[in-house]
Amino acid sequence: MTPKISHPTVERDTGSQMDRTLGGYTAGFSLSFAITSVLSALLVILKETNKETVFAWMAAATGHHWVTHGLLDLIVFVVLGMVLAKVGGGVRMMANALVATIVGATILSGLIITGFNL
Amino acid sequence: MWNELVLLLHPTFGVLAILASVWVFVETLNAREDNQGRIRLASISVAAFLWLAYVVGGYWYVVFYGGDKAIIKAGPWPFAHSFFMESKEHLFFTLLLLGSFLPIVAFNDLAASKPARTLVLWVTTLIVLLSLAMEGAGAFIGMGVKVALLAQQG
Repeated sequence: MTPKISHPTVERDTGSQMDRTLGGYTAGFSLSFAITSVLSALLVILKETNKETVFAWMAAATGHHWVTHGLLDLIVFVVLGMVLAKVGGGVRMMANALVATIVGATILSGLIITGFNL
Repeated sequence: MWNELVLLLHPTFGVLAILASVWVFVETLNAREDNQGRIRLASISVAAFLWLAYVVGGYWYVVFYGGDKAIIKAGPWPFAHSFFMESKEHLFFTLLLLGSFLPIVAFNDLAASKPARTLVLWVTTLIVLLSLAMEGAGAFIGMGVKVALLAQQG
């Protein structure tokens, strides 16, 4: 017999506005991903155009600028996600808006990084 | 030989992440109560493979890539580093975050929640597209070393 799986933060498909939103952690980490991804892309420009200061500090912090960059991204993603989940950030947004935010942030990050390196 | 094997593990884990993402995508299209366990397992596999690709590739990049970088920049394809590696090493963070985010979404009740299913489908699509871009960029970087070494031989 297959056990029934349920999740308390997700509403069921019945057609109401609540059914088109997502739970606290999912919504919070959706926004956290979008913000962190764009910040990470902007950090590329910041460190590459400030070699003597930002880049040098990032290189000195862990021994390699790329390692520091990755650590900062992960810290921001986790901390921001937890905070937004706690305060209910994004839970009132329609799921389609969250999807658009995630897709848009991914495309924007890609354009910032590849555009800067062209 | 170990160093070369480490380098080969990087795209291998990337391909496994792509396959696992397609698995999550297809299972989610057919989400029912009895396949949610498989969806969750596959989503964790995606995250695990991407993290393994990150750690292995990152180790190689930090420890060994400096030599290749000098060879590429002196060769006929300097853009293999200046564009492809510079973009790949930073876009990988977005991919890693997406991979880490996927299990959070996949642990929703996908059989009952259409918004969660939609989100899983989009996140897996982005992971596949970004992973393919990473594989392609890796090919350009490898070719950049190859044409530089060939040019050195005259």
